[in-house]
Amino acid sequence: MTRTYQAIVVGAGPAGSAAALTMARAGLDVALVERGSYPGEKNMFGGVLHRLPELEKFFPDFWNRAPLERHIVKKGVTFMTGDSSFNTTIEAGNFDKAPYNGYTIFRPRFDRWLAEEAVKAGATLITRACVDEVTLRDGKVTGVTILDRKGAMAAPVVIAADGVLSFTALKAGLRRPTFDPGQMAVGVKALLDLPSDAINDRFGLAREQGFANEFVGCTAGVRGGGFLYTNYDSLSVGLVFHLASLKESGKTPYDLLNAFLEQPQVAKMVRGGRLLEYSAHLIPEGGYDMIPELYGDGILVAGDAAALCNATGMNLEGINLATHSGILAGQAVVAAHAERDFSRRGLSLYKKLLDDSYVMKDLKQYRRAPKMLHNNRIYQEYPELACSVMEYLYKINGGPKENLSKLFLKAAKEKVGLKNLAADGFSAWRAL
Amino acid sequence: MNIDEIFDLTSFTIDREPHIVLDTEVCVGCDARGCTNSCPARCYTWNEEESKMTFVHDGCLECGTCYVVCGRKAFTRWRYPRGGFGVAYRMT
Repeated sequence: MTRTYQAIVVGAGPAGSAAALTMARAGLDVALVERGSYPGEKNMFGGVLHRLPELEKFFPDFWNRAPLERHIVKKGVTFMTGDSSFNTTIEAGNFDKAPYNGYTIFRPRFDRWLAEEAVKAGATLITRACVDEVTLRDGKVTGVTILDRKGAMAAPVVIAADGVLSFTALKAGLRRPTFDPGQMAVGVKALLDLPSDAINDRFGLAREQGFANEFVGCTAGVRGGGFLYTNYDSLSVGLVFHLASLKESGKTPYDLLNAFLEQPQVAKMVRGGRLLEYSAHLIPEGGYDMIPELYGDGILVAGDAAALCNATGMNLEGINLATHSGILAGQAVVAAHAERDFSRRGLSLYKKLLDDSYVMKDLKQYRRAPKMLHNNRIYQEYPELACSVMEYLYKINGGPKENLSKLFLKAAKEKVGLKNLAADGFSAWRAL
Repeated sequence: MNIDEIFDLTSFTIDREPHIVLDTEVCVGCDARGCTNSCPARCYTWNEEESKMTFVHDGCLECGTCYVVCGRKAFTRWRYPRGGFGVAYRMT
């Protein structure tokens, strides 16, 4: 038996649920298909949800309705070596006022909430349903089948929001059959239980204020970085590695995570934290050059499935781009229904909407960032340089002080070489 | 932290039928074996003495690392577990 819908969304993550919500609110009969037992069961990320202005149009009091942990008021970057660290933090008064700039969240709660909002708007959520095949007729996508379930689902249009590996996009012929490990990163995370009072005291927070800190130099020379985010009464601590670099290093993500948690300064931050859960996931970090075909006859691709992830080195944005792309995909399908045109041409509005949005504009602007970040010196030599210069600066040893710029040049010459310093500075300036 | 503990804290509903099937003959001819160190769930083990790759799908976090890291196309099957099976994150 085949059940027919006006649209099928594969994957009830932020992109899929935002798309389903958009279409259901416009009155379409939408199926939202999720392989987990509940939306969010399979989903993992570092922990910071950046602000979602487009979703706030649906929920003007988003921060009162969504299941959020803490809003981020303080952001920090730490340059780290074996036993030293140099920190910079910014705490802004504006970050403590709604609309908040970002939040920590738990995916099994947040993703479930957003999918339930799509259901409230009229979408049909089908869980425990792993999409098997994409049904094609004369090269047009006309539906999907579910693994180990009889019957098929049909619709004039399918939105592939099935995550980073998107087998839906692959089977529809929109993404290449293999990925380049140089364009992927893997993140591993430990969730540590810690009382909210301890978190507030330790990180200088009050109420539901949150702290998000990124780390460089904590990956034993593997290209990547670390993070520590405060949830209400737990910490999300983890590492992200460029996959090609991790593979080549021969090191394991869990040993590196263990070493990170035992680094003396990190150890103090996580002290007493009881491990609750360990998780891992791929991140499409290749930026603009990695984006697959975004639309075809009867199909659109959104979120991680479309590699809409912006890794600039300072921030790693994903869910905000995913949600935005999902909403735009939903709008394009609503327009396609009005025109009764589900051809590639009819659905091309999606690409136009994306191009006009911050999603593509940011990805284009930071197009060179992924390549710039493929520089091993960023992950070892520069953090060492920062720490040693700061250490010398404050060190008192009974002798006269050295001139600061001389000190810096001497250390830079020793750690990275002046030619490299100039080249890296230029490449960073061009990329960012 | 004892790293062996971290693998015990994540919940799974294990399917008897594996969602990933590896042709270990292909692995014998591979000298990179990036899966063995890159997999965050320790699913791949290379036995040097027997020249044998072992893969266990039980603790798979469904992250996708092996799918991208394998340069030999050693998988005869790589899909996600059937609905209701596999890793179940509660809070992450």
